Amino acid sequence: MTNYAHDDVLVSTQWLAERQKDASVRIVEISVDTKLFAAGHIPGAAELNWTTQLQDQVQRDIVSKQGFEALLSAIGVRPSDTVVLYGDHSNWFAAYAFWLFKIYGHADVRLLNGGRAKWLSEPDRPLTTDVAKHAPSSYVAQEPNIALRSKLPEVLAHSASRAVNLVDVRSADEFTGKVIAPAGLSETAQRAGHIPGAISVPWSKTVNEDGTFKNIVELKTLYADAGLRTDRPTVSYCRIGERSSHSWFVLKYLLGHNDVRNYDGSWTEYGSVIGVPIER
Amino acid sequence: MDHQARVYDSVLDLLPTEENPSPLVRLNALAVPGSTLYAKLEWFNPFGSIKDRAAAEMVRQLQREGKLGRQADGSIRGIVEPTSGNTGISLAGIAAVQGFGMRAVVPSKVPAEKRVFLKLLGAKVDVVSDSLCPLPGTEDGTIGMAKTHARASADRYVMPNQYENLANVQAHINTTGPEIWRQSGGKVTHVFVSLGTCGTATGLSTYLKAKRAEIKVIAVQPSPGHDVPGLRNLSELGVSKLFAPELIDEILEIPHELAYRRAMDLARHEGLLAGPSSGLIYEGARRIAEREPVAFGVVICCDGAFKYAANLAAHLPDELAEAIE
Repeated sequence: MTNYAHDDVLVSTQWLAERQKDASVRIVEISVDTKLFAAGHIPGAAELNWTTQLQDQVQRDIVSKQGFEALLSAIGVRPSDTVVLYGDHSNWFAAYAFWLFKIYGHADVRLLNGGRAKWLSEPDRPLTTDVAKHAPSSYVAQEPNIALRSKLPEVLAHSASRAVNLVDVRSADEFTGKVIAPAGLSETAQRAGHIPGAISVPWSKTVNEDGTFKNIVELKTLYADAGLRTDRPTVSYCRIGERSSHSWFVLKYLLGHNDVRNYDGSWTEYGSVIGVPIER
Repeated sequence: MDHQARVYDSVLDLLPTEENPSPLVRLNALAVPGSTLYAKLEWFNPFGSIKDRAAAEMVRQLQREGKLGRQADGSIRGIVEPTSGNTGISLAGIAAVQGFGMRAVVPSKVPAEKRVFLKLLGAKVDVVSDSLCPLPGTEDGTIGMAKTHARASADRYVMPNQYENLANVQAHINTTGPEIWRQSGGKVTHVFVSLGTCGTATGLSTYLKAKRAEIKVIAVQPSPGHDVPGLRNLSELGVSKLFAPELIDEILEIPHELAYRRAMDLARHEGLLAGPSSGLIYEGARRIAEREPVAFGVVICCDGAFKYAANLAAHLPDELAEAIE
């Protein structure tokens, strides 16, 4: 679209509108506000719920391979399908779902650039309350690609070695420890601050006012100015792993950095662990 | 209609007009020497706030255009609107009388009392989290949810959209402005307002400055991080297309905590049960009156205290918390 490293992971509203009848293109909404889908969604779209479906409901973890297969089978997605994900808040949880689709090896998954808000801002784009019926499939996922994910022990090692870029994508107030989490959100931590050695690049700086991603030059400048070393691996984190998925997508797919991982434990884990170093 | 006898065929006949204005009450104990301030009591409107004016005008416009109420296919189309509560309550009141549906999309920080009143009037209520970290766009949150309903269920809902609808400005050109002009005998020199949709500020200023260009329209904004429902800091005003800075003489930023304290002052010293936005606007008026003579100032008191009991108690714990423990 605009000289991103990978142009095949992002579609425009126009592209999607032109493929509304294409059976090989499946649309899935994943919004922060889980009431939005029922209020109205892009015709043909299925819904995945980030609170009840994309995470293990007992232990804190991403949905299992079997669980992912069951979810995609139920909404009739096949491994050969082109899947377009979209959601509110500039695709926060759509990006989280994109990360999961890649972890489980889905070949062709894409984000709708600008997400739900961009679609809604264009007067001729339809929304419906009718839920399309798709015949169930027998989705078989790949073994999880753990190279896309970081866990606490690695993050602690990276923080100590300073050999890996740690990118904190939360707001400035969260990074500096003024607040533990944005007001009113239930998932929080015991302490405020950031991982020692992390640089602050709030996710919101990667998008335009209409929710679409900034162009390649702006994105390169943004991370360069923040001190990101392009010759090193990168780990992104936020509060619960969704905003960091958004920045993970930018770094890995739009900027084309090879080794980028999402630390989905993020601040709710790190900021609650006894004895780990914290910077403010 | 006989406004003297105050006997009406419908509660909608109580909607404010030049012949049936909301009251102007002079401030006495809280007066600033050398100035005269009047409070315009908008909670005397039938659904309890200044928003009755915009709601009525927007409904009239939609009905003129055939977009609201019974449609050609026999169905009845209602209203969906993003609201911090008052516009929704006004629309829900009118909807209850006229028999169309009303769906209000409110931010989660809206006081529980307002949500109850919306439901009491029969509205459907969607509560949307408004506490996510700052977003560059404006199509998320309450506006996004309301627009989604309006587009996905266009047969059931039309969205007046108070943030963009010029009827919201026209309401004040038609009613609030002429009321103040007549009530003051043309002597009004200052009007003090808050900024939300900006319909009041833009409409009042348009009308009054055409009458006499020297009339000052002063807007008051709460300091950032406030929780005064319905009001916006300038940093939040991108959402309103009705904001016309050229029509506002001065914008004062007031520490938001004073909204609640001054509301209590208005109650304790003037017997005025005004809401927190009125408290904030009064503080702005007081500051201007201490700086320069205000010969005839009108403090718009957007609504009453009734919908903010819990908020008032939370913000004034030393004085009020005991009452609800």
